[in-house]
Amino acid sequence: MTDFAGLLRALGKTEVEFIIVGGAAATAHGSARLTQDLDLVYSRQPLNLQRIVRALAPYSPYLRGAPPGLPFEWDVSTLQRGLNFTLITSLGAIDLLGEIAGGGSYENLAADTIVLDLFGIRCRCLSLRRLIEVKRAAGRPRDLEAIAELELIFSRQ
Amino acid sequence: MADQSINMLPDPVIERYKRDLDVTLIIENLKLTAEERFVRLMKLQEFAEELDRAGKQKESGRD
Repeated sequence: MTDFAGLLRALGKTEVEFIIVGGAAATAHGSARLTQDLDLVYSRQPLNLQRIVRALAPYSPYLRGAPPGLPFEWDVSTLQRGLNFTLITSLGAIDLLGEIAGGGSYENLAADTIVLDLFGIRCRCLSLRRLIEVKRAAGRPRDLEAIAELELIFSRQ
Repeated sequence: MADQSINMLPDPVIERYKRDLDVTLIIENLKLTAEERFVRLMKLQEFAEELDRAGKQKESGRD
């Protein structure tokens, strides 16, 4: 199980700049679908990378699905060398995304967010309208049912 | 009222999916706060993992 509350609190404690996207954002907007991980678009600013490393270090982040024993170092240098990271931690699964298809970076998306108070943390979450646009633009067949649900929710607001 | 500025034409495939959605679940979910929705999600995950565990246990019992 992914401890969404624990992950958000850990990130909030070190003031990481992030936007909740994907299935978790859909949940925030009212989706009834099951999602297994926390998808976040994060700011690539150097200070933010340091904050991310500090926030998740106590929870032993490792590449999800990778065989154990790989020389994976959880540090700023690793974050600088990559962009999108699918991780497993002791709090559950988290995807740290430098960019998303159809949406771009943290800076591209920041204007299309809402602020939510979740588990005592003020979090940016992608707006419902933008979430639909991003999912449509990504064009993944597995998203079709999710988009249908999000559009129904949108029509009821 | 919702912002009606989604500048996209209805997609016939998505429209077809809408017909099969359980709207009652959505209506119930919309009554909750965002935090309550996450708490519900975590309970759902826990239940799914328990079902998975029970299924695997049953399968291994057959071997």
